[in-house]
Parts: sequence; C-alpha cells; structure tokens
Amino acid sequence: MAIIRKLEIRHFRGIASLDWCPSEGVNCLVGPGDSCKTTILDAIDLCLGARRNLTLSDADFHSLDVNTPISISVTIGRLGDSLKNLETYGMYLRGFDGKSGIILDEPDTGLETVLTHRLCVEADHEPSWALYSDRAAQQDQSRGLVWADRSAIAPTRLGAYADHNLSWGRASILNKVSDETIAASAALAELARSARDAFGQQAEAGLPKALKVVQSTAAKLGVPVGDAVKAMLDAQSVSFSGGTIALHDETGVPLKVLGLGSKRLLVAGLQRAAASSSPIVLVDEIEHGLEPHRIIRLLGELGAKEAKPPLQVFMTTHSPVAVRELDAAQLHLLRTSDTDHFAYPAVSAGDVQGTIRMFPEALLARSIIVCEGATEHGLLRGLDQHRVVNGKISFTAQNAAIIDGGGENVFKRARSFQFLGYRTAVLHDSDKIPTPDIKAEIEAAGAPTFAWRQGCALEEELFLALPEPTAMKLLEYAVERRGEKAIDDQIRSASGAKHTLASCRASLTVEARTVLGKASKAKTSGWYKTVTDMEAVARDIVGPGAKGSAASLTKPINDLLGWIADGAK
Amino acid sequence: MAPNDIDLLTVQRGLVIAPAGCGKTQLIVEALKRHVEPKPILVLTHTNAGVAALRNRLEKAKIRPSAFRLSTIDGFAIRLVGMFPGRAEIDLVKLTVERPPYPEIRTAACNVLKTNRIYDAIRATYSRLLVDEYQDCSYWQHAIVYYLSHVLPTCVLGDQLQAIFGFGDDALADWQEHVGGHFPVAAELTTPHRWINAGAAELGQWVLAARGSLLSGQTIDLRQSPSTVEWVQLDGSNGDRPKQLKAGATKPHTPDGNVLIIGDSTQPRSQQLFASQIPGATVVEAVDLRELVNFASQLDLTAADAVHRVAHFAASLMTGTSPDDLIKRLATITSGRSRKDVTELEQLALDFQAAPTYGGVAALFAAINNQAGVRVHRPAVLRACFRALNECAKADGPEFREAAVRAREQYRMAGRSLPKRGVGSTLLLKGLEAEVCVVIQGDKLNAKNLYVALTRGSNKLIVCSKSPVLPVVT
Repeated sequence: MAIIRKLEIRHFRGIASLDWCPSEGVNCLVGPGDSCKTTILDAIDLCLGARRNLTLSDADFHSLDVNTPISISVTIGRLGDSLKNLETYGMYLRGFDGKSGIILDEPDTGLETVLTHRLCVEADHEPSWALYSDRAAQQDQSRGLVWADRSAIAPTRLGAYADHNLSWGRASILNKVSDETIAASAALAELARSARDAFGQQAEAGLPKALKVVQSTAAKLGVPVGDAVKAMLDAQSVSFSGGTIALHDETGVPLKVLGLGSKRLLVAGLQRAAASSSPIVLVDEIEHGLEPHRIIRLLGELGAKEAKPPLQVFMTTHSPVAVRELDAAQLHLLRTSDTDHFAYPAVSAGDVQGTIRMFPEALLARSIIVCEGATEHGLLRGLDQHRVVNGKISFTAQNAAIIDGGGENVFKRARSFQFLGYRTAVLHDSDKIPTPDIKAEIEAAGAPTFAWRQGCALEEELFLALPEPTAMKLLEYAVERRGEKAIDDQIRSASGAKHTLASCRASLTVEARTVLGKASKAKTSGWYKTVTDMEAVARDIVGPGAKGSAASLTKPINDLLGWIADGAK
Repeated sequence: MAPNDIDLLTVQRGLVIAPAGCGKTQLIVEALKRHVEPKPILVLTHTNAGVAALRNRLEKAKIRPSAFRLSTIDGFAIRLVGMFPGRAEIDLVKLTVERPPYPEIRTAACNVLKTNRIYDAIRATYSRLLVDEYQDCSYWQHAIVYYLSHVLPTCVLGDQLQAIFGFGDDALADWQEHVGGHFPVAAELTTPHRWINAGAAELGQWVLAARGSLLSGQTIDLRQSPSTVEWVQLDGSNGDRPKQLKAGATKPHTPDGNVLIIGDSTQPRSQQLFASQIPGATVVEAVDLRELVNFASQLDLTAADAVHRVAHFAASLMTGTSPDDLIKRLATITSGRSRKDVTELEQLALDFQAAPTYGGVAALFAAINNQAGVRVHRPAVLRACFRALNECAKADGPEFREAAVRAREQYRMAGRSLPKRGVGSTLLLKGLEAEVCVVIQGDKLNAKNLYVALTRGSNKLIVCSKSPVLPVVT
C-alpha cells in the first residue's frame, strides 16, 4: 500500500524549505538538537493524518511570518487501485522519477504514478487539505481525498504515549488490525439505560428534602413538572463509545498500566500486523522508555533488518544504540543552510558504515573534532571540563563531538564525516603524518587541521610549552602514578643516562624538557596514554596552569576553540 | 441467456457480430447483471442518444450503477484529454468551445493512451471494456479502443451492415483490416429475438436472410416475402403521394403500438412535409436542432419583422397556421380599418409589437398552437424553443441564442424518445424500433440504409418503391 515518495515542506516551524525523498523502509532522521527532526514527523502527520481539523498558532509559521502560508506536500506512491482511479483522481495523478526525485505533473512511461496531498495553512490558521497537480491548479480545480482513502493512508504515530492505541477509539491501530466492528453499541446503550434506572431509585431515597423543595417551588411558580419530580442519572453523562472498550490482561488489569516501553513495543507489533492496510509509521524518539535491548527489539519489529521492508518508518532518535543498529542507508542526516533544510541518506557519502558503528554518538552532533589518538582525545575532554568549571560553554552544548581517530586512520575517518556533511576538524600530532594526500584533500574541502610544532607529539609539546611550575606538576603527576623508580629509569633511558628524575626536578632546562617529552610518550609505558590520564592532566594541571605557555601549544588549541564556537552560531 | 449466446465476460479480446434485433443490448444487460467485481465495466458507444437508450435499459433491468461506467467514446476521450493535457499535447481551450474538434481530441486521447503511460490507472479503474455499435467507429475512435484493449479485456459489438454514419474528417475504421485485424470474431448472433418476441418470427427470419443477401452484394425481392412485408408500388406520377400518405397512416396492431416512417435522409424538408400531412405524425429531429438555433440567432425583438419571423417559425413547427394572414390583419388593425373583432392571438401580437419581450414570444407560440385546427408536427423543436424562451425571459437570463444552444445540448443528452408516429431518416431512426415501419422512398436507399430501414419494424414492414427489387442505388 501507499508509501511516501517525496516530502516538500515550506514555511513550517523551523523549516523554511525542505525537499526530501525518503526511502522505502526505515528512515531514521539524525541531526543535532533543534534541527527540526520532529517537525518533519509532525509535517507528515499533519498532512496525511485523517483529521478534519487542526489547531495551529502563529508559532507554527516559520519565523512567525504569517503572511507566507504553510505548505506541506506529501507525494505518495505505490498506490492501490482506489487511489489510482481515473474517475476520482485522474486530474491529480502525477509521475514520479525515483532516480532523480523529480515529480512530473502527468504520468508517463517509466514513471511511477503518484498523488500529491497538500496541507495549506494561511494566516487565519484555517487548514485546507487537498490533492495537488499543476494542471488542476491552473484550472482552479480542487478536490480532496475520499475519506476512506484518506484514513487508509493515514500514518500511525508511535509517540511518547501509546495509550490511545490500546482501546478501540478513533484513530486507534486496533481498528486497522482487522475488519471487525464492535457490535457492542446496542449493548452499551442498554447498559446505560439500566444504570440510569438503577440509580434513579437510590437517589430518591437519599434526596427527599431537596425534591420536596423543588416540587413545591415549581408548583408555586406554575412550572409544569408533574406530580413528582425525580432525581435520576443524567442521560448524557452515561454514554459509551468505542473508546470505552480497551485491552485488558488475563486478570482484568488494563494494558494501559503497563510500562511505557512495553506499551510502545506492543503497539509497534500491532502496527506491523496492520502493515498491509496502513504501512506508514511515525516514531518519535524511538528509545523513549526502552532499555537498549528493547530498542533493538523495536527496530526489528519495525522491519529495520528486513530486505523487503514491511513498513515505511519515519523516526527520530538521540540514541547511539539505535544509530549503531541501523544501516547507513536508513540514516538520513538533516542539514541546514541559511534558507534550506536538506536530508540525505548517509550512504550517499560512500562507505561510512564502519564509522557510524564506531561513533554513533558523533552523528548526533553538528561539529566533529577527530583526534589522532587517546591523548588528544583526553586533552580536549579535560580542557573542556576545566572550561565548564570556569563558566564557559561546553563543547556538547556547542553541538560538537570529540572522537578518537584511531592513530593512522585519523584523516580517513575525518574524511568520512566530512562526506556526511558534518563540520569536521582534525587535531593531530606532528611527529609523523601517515597520509598526507588525504590531509590535503580534507583541508581543500574546508576542514581545518590543527597540530603541534613540527616533529612533536602532544607530550613533547606539553613539556616544551608549559610554564615551569605547570610542567613540573605534569612530571609529578606521572611520578605519583608510576613511582619514582619507574620514572627515573625512563628518564635515564630516554637521555642516554644524561638526565635523571632528580636533575629534572632541580632544573627544567630546554634539554630536560625535551627528554621528559620523549620519555613520557613511550609507546607501551607512556605516562598519559589513556584517555583517563590525559583527561585528568588537562583538567587539573594544563587547563589551570596554561597561562604563559608557548604559542605552539596555545594557538592550535585556541584556534580549535574558536572553530567550535563558530559552529554553534 | 439463451444457450447459443455468448458470455461477454469471458471474451478477452474479440468481436461479437450482432445483426439488428438479435438481442445485442440484452447481451450487454445480462453481462452487467452478472458482473460482481468491485471495479466497474467501461461501456462505450457512439452517440449521446445511444448512451441515453442504453442507460434506460440498464435502469429498467435494475443493474447496480456501480457495475458500469457508460459514456460515448468521444466523451471518454474529452475527459481523458482534460485529465492529462500535457501528455495529450492539446490546448485545453479546444475542449470547451461550442463545437469541439473531435478528430483532434481523439488523436490527443491516443497520445495519452499509447506507450503504457496510464495503463496502471486504467487497470485500477475498470475491470473490462465493452463497446457497442462498433461499426460506427472512426479510425481514431478505433485507435482509442485499440489502446484500451491492451490493458482491459475488451469485447466490441457491431454489425458492419449498419454502418451508415461515417461523415466528417475522421473516416470509419476499415471493418476487415482494422476491426477484424485486431478483434477476432468471438461470436455471431443469429436469433432474431425482436421479431420472435413480437410474434413475427417469420419476418425476423426473412430480415436475417435479407441481411445475408445485402452483405454479399446481392439484391432482395419484395415480392418474395412473408405477408408481414408489404410492397406499395410507385410509378413516379402524381399518384404516388396519396399512396405514400396512406402507407404512412397505417394503424399499428395494438393500441400502444408505434409507427416509424422513413423518408429521404438527404431531404429533411420532405420528411417534415410528410409529418405535417400524415395525421398524428411528428418529426424525429436531428440532434443539432439547427432551425431553432438559427431562429434564435436571427430574432431581433426590436426589429420591425419580429412578429413576422415568430409567426413563420411557428408555421414551420405546426400545421394549420397562416402566418401571412396574421401579418395582414395586424396591419389592418393598426391602421384602424379593421371591422372584425380583434382575436386573442391578434391582441397578443399587438401587445408584443408595443412592448417586445421573450415572454411575449412564448405567449405568441402558445396562442398560435391554441388556435382551432392547429397541430404541432415538430414538438421537439417547439419544446426546446419554449425552454430557451423561459430561460432568457428570466432576470439575468442568457441571450436567446445561448439559451437555445443550451436547450439543444439538453435535447442531445436526453436522447430521442419514440413518438407514436415518427418521421425521420435511417440515420435518426437507427436504434429505434416500432411495430410498423413504413419506407416512403425505397428506391433512394443503398444496401446499408435499406437494411437499417427493414429492421425497424417488429410486426409489419411497408416499403413504397418503384422497383420491387432493392437496392437500386449503390
């Protein structure tokens, strides 16, 4: 049954303009906060949902500009017979070219026959839903979808609250699981009547005085109430609808009291069962209320792992677990320019699956700093923590993520993120550059790379650049961790026995600083090689004591901070 | 369904040869009755009159309306072209003009249909296609059906001997090459139900045999026929007309029976004259109601000749009027020389001259009709004329000419009803049937027109001609 081929949003909330061709199965929208992921879900819901009215406010207009109408067009393909009916929709059938994503106003050989449904809202907030084609518009013709067709294509939303799907109310998924109708209305009406009768007798016994006052007052004023006023249950207050019938477990406990996660899982399963008639599902924050293994379970239920997807799912997530579980083709990255929004599948950046699996959380940011190794990673984390303590805005709050580039792969990894449309920067050692070609390539593509002075690893740079008291603290941190003996041995070994721990403690000459740098960066017994170590060093020693450092250390870091801040503007 | 008849719902692509009166329409009705699929069958025919007649039959048979979609081929083509003007490569303005260029629209519809552009939508909309009166298909109409038959199971029904249309720029499709070449014969109907039902099986068999002869280019001899076929011999003298009028006045067998009188297709005036001279006869009008539209275009209420025009137009629709006398009397009265009392009609005409209105025109027609000895022999035109006058007499009503065109379109859509005694040409009477059929000038009919004429009467057939062996023209 029908699925969405193209979505065109104009002037709706945070989106000035977006054209997007989603894929057939799972479409997981990924982007930094406030990139309008939920707005896209809302747009689909408002345009295709089977509703007769809608309450919008000025705030739903982009930039609060109510003079430009909101327009949301959803073009649906894989149409069933009733949607392709010439006599009903002939004027509105259009042709969709799946390769280019272009819609032609009339069907043609080699194109898929599609319909465009459009929601328009003008300044008066009155919504109007109608089918759209250029030729019908030119002839001032207009018609909507037949209600039966509209409810058939209406998406199901798996929002934060799934309760309404667990009773047979309007818009409940239970109505779509089978054709059966509840033949209970007569029984319910009968029930209402008997409730009224039963209650009526009790009330008379309990309210004799009040009834008597009413009776005599009415008689005095000539209001015709007969010989005996009665107190009965208000007929209107006893009414039942389909929504009154809800699911209960074996012991009669309503399923509505299940945990949030369980309810969402169950409703997703029901959606799956109703897929043949209602294949479009909208899921807000898929991880909501679910433990990691249940997120994976839910994704499976929505068909994320199937070659022939049973449902077309639109979801948002902030969960690395969900991102890691999905295929690059199912992840659609949301990007903004000054005037437009763009959404495109992660696969269009080439083979990025590995990168996504390894750093799912980075996909949720706007700017990404790829660090050559754990030491740079730790340094930035520590410095960030130090900055936050001093009232600065954290990297995360500036939509930046720091990831480990894995040593030699640092530029390659940075290139992947660049392809995915992220603001990317690299922080690397300068002792050796493994892949100069790619470095040049990513710089040419606009990603800055930051490095220490020529030939220096981070440790060497630190020992050379920091003012003496701070450099001394750095040394003492290592001594405290590893013991005097171990450090002394390493200094001796690194200097060919020219320096000792004692000599370094006595005087931090340039030569001593060089030796310390060399000794500390040893591959297997390096002093600050783990993220934890370097993070602590940066937070507690480098950050607070950096004043007076050489520019070869402070410039790359300050430039990087500036770059991060730029991305948050 | 009779045992020998065919189930149209089983035909994937084929032609049913359906001689007149052999239950073709019934076959369509039966097929639609048995059609239970949710998607309707598309039923196409040629004329609006044909659509109206078929719709009538289907309603009487209580066929559920969702089982079929009924339209003319041209109507279907216009809608299709209107839906996809870009693919049709046509300017939409052409669809809304008073006389749409049908050949162009048909070609445009083919542009939409060819190369699988909207096959999926057609398949989604209809379950199969039936086309009636296929012998009347022009080349481009056939092309439309040809393309549709690629997507829909298609059965066409027709009889090449009834192909008497075929005028205009778009020639008839060739029966052998185009029709036969694409639609193999699925069945040929051979039971003359119309005559059997009327208790004249012998006549039915004779007509069917005559069809065989005419089809193979041979003649038929009216002297060798059952008693239900009567030959009235003409000799070209002045004595012919009384014979023709007498034949035209033949009484039907039953009180409710109808009589059809077939005149010369090329001379509508002569048909009208016969209608005015045969008691009770009325003209079966052509759908274009040309005289009404002409009258409406030319009538100028303020012109001096307005009454003259109205009176003469009335005279062309009614027998027993004397328009010139009326004009003379008006002149006499106006000049104050009249010695006789002014009649109601004369007073109306005077009032009209003083204050001409369209309401006044209608009143004049009504008064002329009310005169003693006046009979309307062209009621269809008069009714349409009244309708148009009423429309344009309203406040904010249209111009008379526009109102007349609207009335004509209503008439076109409504389809012809069968008068008790109707006079017309084979073209106009095709598809209508009566108890008695009278052919006034048999010598003027070619084989196809003759066949159509012979098949109009279910009980009795009277042919006036000089030659007993027909046809004499080719």
